[in-house]
Amino acid sequence: MASTTPVALSDADFTRFCEYFYKRTGIHFTAGKRYFVDKRIDTCIRNSGYDTFASWFAALRMSDSGGMLQDLINQLTVNETYFLREDYQFDAMLSTVLPNVLAARGGVNRIVGPVKILSLPCSTGEEPYSIALRLLEEWDQIDHVDVEIHGADIDSDVLAKAAHASYGERSVQRVPKAWMNKYFVAVGAGRYQVDEGIRSAVTLHKVNICDTPSMRSFRDFDVIFCRNVLIYFDELSSRRAAENLYAALRPGGYLFLGHSESMSRISPIFTPSRLPEGLVYQRPTGAK
Amino acid sequence: MTSDTATRARVLVVDDAATVRLYHNSLLSEAGFEVSEAANGLEAVEASLSAEFDLYVVDVNMPKMNGYTCVETLRSETVGTAAPVVMISTEDRPGDADRAYQAGANLYLVKPVAGDRLVRVATMLTAGREEAA
Amino acid sequence: MGLVRKQAPQQPEEALPDRPPVETLLAQLDDPDPDCRREAALGLADITTAVPDLLARVGTEDDPRVLESMLTTLAAHDTEDVAGGLAVHLTSDEAGLRTAVAAALATMPRSVPALLPNLLAAPDHDVRVMTAMILADLQHPEAHDWLVRMICQDPHPNVVTGAIDALLPSATEDDADLLRDAMARFPDDPFLRFTVNSALPRLTGTA
Repeated sequence: MASTTPVALSDADFTRFCEYFYKRTGIHFTAGKRYFVDKRIDTCIRNSGYDTFASWFAALRMSDSGGMLQDLINQLTVNETYFLREDYQFDAMLSTVLPNVLAARGGVNRIVGPVKILSLPCSTGEEPYSIALRLLEEWDQIDHVDVEIHGADIDSDVLAKAAHASYGERSVQRVPKAWMNKYFVAVGAGRYQVDEGIRSAVTLHKVNICDTPSMRSFRDFDVIFCRNVLIYFDELSSRRAAENLYAALRPGGYLFLGHSESMSRISPIFTPSRLPEGLVYQRPTGAK
Repeated sequence: MTSDTATRARVLVVDDAATVRLYHNSLLSEAGFEVSEAANGLEAVEASLSAEFDLYVVDVNMPKMNGYTCVETLRSETVGTAAPVVMISTEDRPGDADRAYQAGANLYLVKPVAGDRLVRVATMLTAGREEAA
Repeated sequence: MGLVRKQAPQQPEEALPDRPPVETLLAQLDDPDPDCRREAALGLADITTAVPDLLARVGTEDDPRVLESMLTTLAAHDTEDVAGGLAVHLTSDEAGLRTAVAAALATMPRSVPALLPNLLAAPDHDVRVMTAMILADLQHPEAHDWLVRMICQDPHPNVVTGAIDALLPSATEDDADLLRDAMARFPDDPFLRFTVNSALPRLTGTA
C-alpha cells in the first residue's frame, strides 16, 4: 500500500513529463497548470500501484502495460460538463445555422442525405444529447429532415458513460421538467437515464482530434461543436486539429468553439461570421 | 449629428508586437482617441464583426493573418468596412506601398513612425467621420 | 424523418478508411482543386519521403489554405532540412508566405537553432526582424540568450525593438541594463525610448 503523502515532482520531472505527454497527445501544459498536473499524476501513480514518480514514469514510457497512458489522458483531459451548457450556441444553431444549412443544401424538399452534427469532444454525452433534445423539442423542421448526431472523444471512460447516459441531479438541473418527464427515466439514487430512443440515435466514436488518419472517417458534417478543447493544445497540435475539423466539415459548414475561444490564435483557414448569438466559423464554400 | 462630435473616434491598433500596440495605444489615447487592440489580422477581423471602428492602424508582418490579407478581408463582404486604414510596416521594399493600396489601405507608412505624425494622420483620416455623420 | 442513426453498423473501434497511397497523395499536390491539394498535404503527415515534394511547392503554392496545411505537415518534422528549406522564404516579397513560414519555424525548436547564426547575420534587416518574431515563440532554453545578443549587437533599430518585444515576456531585472544600453545606442528612436521606459518599472523586483 502506497503512502498517503502526495508523490512530489521536481521541476525537472515536470518538464520531462510535459515533453513526453506532448509527444504522445499533442497536449501542452504550461507551468501555470503545475498544481493540476501534479495532482492528477499523483492519482495515476496510485491507480497503477507505483510509489514513486520515477518508477511509474519509467513503466509508462517503456511498456504502457494496463492502459496507463489511457488513464493518464483521462485524468488530464477535462470532462466536467452538464446538459444545455453554453446554450446560446444551440439557440444560434436552431435560429440561424440550420436554416442556412437547409437553404444551402437545396431546401427542405430537395436536400439529399441527412443533416450531420458532430460533438467533439462529447465527453460523457451531455452535449450530443442536449443537441438531440433541443432539435426534437424546438426545431420546426425536425419532422421533415433526417438528422444524424455524432459524439466523439479521445477518452474511452467518458465514452462508456456517454453510451450508458445516466446522469446526476446536477448535470440535468437545467433541463425543463417537461423534457425530463418525456426523455429521461429515473434509475434510482437521484440518477436519470436518457431514454433508449435518443440514446440509440446518437452515434459515438473514439478519436484523437489531432490524428489526421483517424479523423479521416469524419466527413461532410454540417455543424461541429468543438468547445473548450483547443485551448489545451500547443501551436502545432491546435493547427492540426483545426485542419482536421475543416476536413470534417462540408463546404459552408459551421464550427462552434467554446465561449472564451477564438480561431484567431490558431488558424486562418476558417471564415469568421457574426450571428446574433455570437461568433461562429465557417468552412468557406467554393474552391478558394 | 452634432451631438456625436463629442464622441471620440474609435481606433483599432493591429500589431503582433505588444510593445507596438502599447506605444500606438498610448499616443492615440492621449490624443483623445478610443483605442482597442488586436494581435493579428484575424483578431482584427473578429473584432470588426463585433464592433465598429473609425480607423484601423495595421502592421504588415503578423502571424495567422498578415496585414494585407487583413485589410482585404476588412474591405470584403466578410466585414465590409469603409473606415480608413493606415498600414505601418518595417518593410521598405519597392512595391510594398502599391500592395497596401491595392488591398484597400488609405495610407502606407514605414517604421519608425514619429508619434506626432501618427496622431496627425489619425486626426486627418477621422476628420471626415463627423462630416459624414 | 427526425433523428436517425448513422447507416453503417457501429463498431466500438471503427475501421479506419485507408490512407491513400503516398504516390497518390504526391500526385494530388498538383491537382487544380485547392481542396484536393490541401487534403493531400495534410495526408502526408509523418511521411518523411514527401518532405522534398512539399518543400518544393511552398514557394509556388498560391492558395493560403493549402500553404497552411503544407506548413503544418512540414513543421511537425522539425529537421534541419525542413527548417533550412522554409527559412529561404523569409525574404519573400509575399507577406503571407514569409509570415506563415516564420510562424512554422517558431514551432521547430529542435532544428531552428542551427539556422540562427545565419539568420542573425542576414544582410536584409527584415529577415532579422522576422527572426526576432520566431524567437518570441520558440520553445527553447536559449531563445532568451539569442534575443539578448540581437539587442546588444544588431545595428538596425527595428531589429532591436523587435527583439525587445520578444524578450519582454521572459525579461527580469537582470535585463534592465541591456534595455538601458539599447536606448542609449538609438537615442533618436522615440518608440524604443517609450518601450524601454515603460518596461523598466515592471522589471524591478523580477530577478
